[in-house]
Amino acid sequence: MKISVRHFMNFILCFFGLLALLLPFAAIVTQAAPPPDTQVKKSPLLAALQAELERSMKTFKAQDPPAYYIGYTITDTQRADVSGSNGALLNSAEARNRWLEVSVRTGSYETDDTHKVGERTQTSASPGASVPLDDDAGVLRRAVWLETDMQYRAAAEALIKIKTGKEVKVDSVENRAPDFSHEQPHSFIGPQVSFTLDRNPWEEKVRAYTRTFRESAAIINSIVTFTAQAQNVFQVTSEGTQLQFGQIRYRLELFIQGKAPDGMDIDRYYNFDWVNPADAPDDKAVAAAQATMRKELEGLVVAPINEPSVGPALLTGRAAAVFFHEVFGHRAEGHRQKDAAEGQTFAKKVGEPILPSFLSIVDDTTMQKLGSEDLLGYYQFDDEGVPAQRVTLVDHGILKNFEMSRSPLVGFPTSNGHGRRQLGATPVSRQGNLIVESSKTLTNAQLRAKLIELIKAQGKPFGLLIDDIAGGFTFTGRGQPQAFQVLPLVVYKVFPDGRPDELVRGVDIVGTPLAALTKIVATGDTPEVFNGYCGAESGSVPVSAASPAILTSELEVQKKESSTDRPPILPPPAHDPAKTGGQQ
Amino acid sequence: MKRTRGFAGLTILAAVLSCGIVTRAQAPKDNDHTLQAMRDEMARSKTRLELKIPGTPQPQRPYYVEYRLLDLDVREVVGEFGALISTSHTRNRFMDVEARIGDYKLDSSNFISDDGFRGFIGPTGSVGIDRDYDSLRQDLWIATDQAFKEAVETYSRKQAYLSSLARQSDIDDFAKAAPLQLIEPLVTPDWSNRNWEQEARETSATLRAFPQIYESRVTYYLVYATEYLLTSEGTEIRTNRCFAAIESGMNTLADDGMQINHMYATYAPKPADLPSVDAVRKALNVTGTELMALRAAPPAQDYTGPVLFEARAAAPLLAQVLTPAINGARPPVSFTPVMEQLLTGLGGKSDWVGRMGARVLPPGVSLIDDPGAKESHGTALLGAYAVDDEGVRAEKIMIVDNGNAKELLMSRRPGPDSDISNGHGRSAFLNDAKPTMSNLFFKSTETLSPADLKKKFLDACRSEKLPYCLVVREMDNPSISLLHQDDFSELLASFGGGAGTGDRLPLIVYKIYPDDGREEMVRGARIIGLNTRMLRNLGGIGNDDFVYNYMQSQVSGFAGTALGAFGSAQSGLPASLIAPSLLFDDLEVRGARGEPKRLPLLPAPPMTAE
Repeated sequence: MKISVRHFMNFILCFFGLLALLLPFAAIVTQAAPPPDTQVKKSPLLAALQAELERSMKTFKAQDPPAYYIGYTITDTQRADVSGSNGALLNSAEARNRWLEVSVRTGSYETDDTHKVGERTQTSASPGASVPLDDDAGVLRRAVWLETDMQYRAAAEALIKIKTGKEVKVDSVENRAPDFSHEQPHSFIGPQVSFTLDRNPWEEKVRAYTRTFRESAAIINSIVTFTAQAQNVFQVTSEGTQLQFGQIRYRLELFIQGKAPDGMDIDRYYNFDWVNPADAPDDKAVAAAQATMRKELEGLVVAPINEPSVGPALLTGRAAAVFFHEVFGHRAEGHRQKDAAEGQTFAKKVGEPILPSFLSIVDDTTMQKLGSEDLLGYYQFDDEGVPAQRVTLVDHGILKNFEMSRSPLVGFPTSNGHGRRQLGATPVSRQGNLIVESSKTLTNAQLRAKLIELIKAQGKPFGLLIDDIAGGFTFTGRGQPQAFQVLPLVVYKVFPDGRPDELVRGVDIVGTPLAALTKIVATGDTPEVFNGYCGAESGSVPVSAASPAILTSELEVQKKESSTDRPPILPPPAHDPAKTGGQQ
Repeated sequence: MKRTRGFAGLTILAAVLSCGIVTRAQAPKDNDHTLQAMRDEMARSKTRLELKIPGTPQPQRPYYVEYRLLDLDVREVVGEFGALISTSHTRNRFMDVEARIGDYKLDSSNFISDDGFRGFIGPTGSVGIDRDYDSLRQDLWIATDQAFKEAVETYSRKQAYLSSLARQSDIDDFAKAAPLQLIEPLVTPDWSNRNWEQEARETSATLRAFPQIYESRVTYYLVYATEYLLTSEGTEIRTNRCFAAIESGMNTLADDGMQINHMYATYAPKPADLPSVDAVRKALNVTGTELMALRAAPPAQDYTGPVLFEARAAAPLLAQVLTPAINGARPPVSFTPVMEQLLTGLGGKSDWVGRMGARVLPPGVSLIDDPGAKESHGTALLGAYAVDDEGVRAEKIMIVDNGNAKELLMSRRPGPDSDISNGHGRSAFLNDAKPTMSNLFFKSTETLSPADLKKKFLDACRSEKLPYCLVVREMDNPSISLLHQDDFSELLASFGGGAGTGDRLPLIVYKIYPDDGREEMVRGARIIGLNTRMLRNLGGIGNDDFVYNYMQSQVSGFAGTALGAFGSAQSGLPASLIAPSLLFDDLEVRGARGEPKRLPLLPAPPMTAE
């Protein structure tokens, strides 16, 4: 989901999952150029880009204003999608495309065309252009030539505006950091990747999986999508960076929809991510996920609505991981400390405690796996050509660092490899693999006992057990309350008197981040991984979050906004006792 | 004048079958369970779908339910300067469910409200491609539920709005139509054994010979579609449609910074009928050469005087001017006057409605729309169909006879002159069906040979004592010639209200000097004020019919407007217009306006010629 960020409102909308479902229909390649081979061989694309880069730089650095940086990136994407819905194949296709992005910066590292003056936001002149699948240097260079000229023109115009604007605006301290960091150039030629896939077995699987969902009268719609994606990146910059690397990812997403009697939409979603084809989930693993989804949806449809409350809560690992991603991770993104329009929650807190001392948080994009689970936030180089790194954000409760792109902060002059973007967007600092580590761990049984202890101590009728979170909204802008709202999907009331847990629906967690983070009293002993796609200013990027379960002494929940649309008037055709029309 | 017609229920089997070779005499047996699923869900919806509204005695029920389903099998191949940009083959199925509350006289349709029902899944969407029974019933079930609730809400909003009006329209909302059954056999797409990727490479490579062309695209677009329609009135239809297109756009900048575009497009009823590589290369070479000539040509100056449209330009001009005029349906009732203004601004209100019997074209001229016509002057026509997208049998309509308006094209949305459909409710890709031309013939009893017409033109020029006069050889179609959405938006903005009052975009325009007959190309001309009224009196009509196959735009807001002729294969409705050269005695032409762009700082990088 790509969201537009308006200048008056900094708003992060982060919905994990669902994204593949919203992508436009892909295509079947019937006869394309041969797939890139897997040997380490330098692509001829790099030489073509380099030739055009040298020609452009020579001319544009002599202009007024001069270009001081030019970067070219081609992303070659091979993608297969197989989707099923309600027991039938929805589509099955494979497509390949090559996308060119050109970055031209005018002025200097100190002050360039991306400099923020007031609340004006920087937008790229063009998201890029399609370039040939065939390695035709002449045709490619022509596209690069036109994009470079357009980007230079936009960057020159922007810089002139900024120079005029700076005279009438006072720069904040934060804004005194340079606009672009100096980085070491990198040369890396890795193997190109591609996959050969027989879509037929997946077509049968998505049919069968969604057919199973039809057995439940509560499930009114189901979609299952399998995606395979091989991406090869080719990048050259005027600083001397020259990169070629690739990555393959596979994903299976399950999505079902239902409706409560009062009209509330009930969704359940589950995803599997893997890198090695051998790690694909088997039918048994999928069936188990499906059974859980179905049970939860059927339970939620008839569950009572939770009234607003404040009290102790236990978040399971996956829910806690999303909670940290929303509440902490987005606020630790470097550019949010810089922008005058941002709330700068943590800007002046470096070196200060922001979490209980038993918690540390790293963002480590060099990690391919945590335990046996593939991490979606792994990469070799970020989208500004900076190598992936392990960054300690919080060390034993003390804030140490931010996720940094090449947009420096005072005291943080260089990137730590977190400049990321969706194809066509301008990179900003984003999360990769956000990993929460704890030195005060309890077993699951101990955590639950501790939760009941807290409920009793606070004299509350119940506490909450939060098992799944869909993502959330985080307001980080200065004009809005520094609040977050995360959307839990599966929530149980836990009673101190030993009654069984009760599933409830319509719960939103609300609060302010600094307060919420300090209320954590203990954690579990097993980290759990949540893989998803996160949407923000620079588009949708793959991320992971990992955390053990967390117990918090106080969590505020409010009632969820609900739809007024009533449930369907007639029963599902397969569950209609009055058979009008012959079933086949 | 209102008229009614009696239809007997009729069944046509495989009457028109342009996509396949199979023709059978009886209902086909196949593994397609689409219609059965539609029938069964329809039966349930008709009898049991109802909503009790608090405070009203009777529950609401739909009086009409319609299921449409489009099965699209599409291949698209894009080449640029000899390299392949993309190639794809997709098959998708889309459904569209409509439910109507009220009755034929006044129902929930034809109303544009500021806010409406927003369901969680909606009455439209993508459905399974297996042609199976169970998944489609599930999808139709939810879609019907959503469409019905949407109709209930719209109906109540519409009634509330109408009660605030002084006088309500006496035109019905929905025309009755006899149920029709037409089940064509399923067609297996025939992509032919041609290598489309290689053809796209080879044809687009022609443009490498023109180093001054900045950007270009050659797109092959091959479509096989199966359309299903089932209504609660008993109509059941499964038909096949197919067409194939090659479209190319290209651009450059003149030395003064004016952006110049050119295009080439050709359409055929099916892939195998597309022109060969050699023929396309030859045509693209002409287009490229013309673009280079345009680039070097001087900008057009403001001009008033006679303009000759050669047949290749006259047919697309008529497609633009006549599309809104021949549409006889009433416009929707709009909650906001903005919609009305928008339609008027785009030239979307018919000037001919309410003028039956009046002279609208020169005496001797007739305008005939014939959905049954297959070819004209040896060229296959694109617009043919047997049954329209509302399940009404296509009729040949004499729209204008001897210059006088006689009958407009009608869908099932009645208008002031007719309350019955004549089978022209057409839609591309499940859009709303609108009265749209199929194969439109512009014929005159009084014609001149091209030589005589030119002589008449030059005589008029001399008698006005003009140093030169303008001849238009080709019209622009910006939806093909422009390669960037930004450029298209900019162009639309430049129209302002001009589309409604008759701004037209000629592409290839020559000055002709009557003294010595020499010709000079000019660029950037725009004709203004060329509306339907200008067609009443023409200076002359040629006998050189040109068959113009093109795509009617069905883009929301364009359909049924003067911009309706700006379509492309991806979003258009195949149509044909057959017309000769036309001489206008007095037109206004404006020279180039707007700020030119700066030329690129660097010259184009090298690209070898092939």
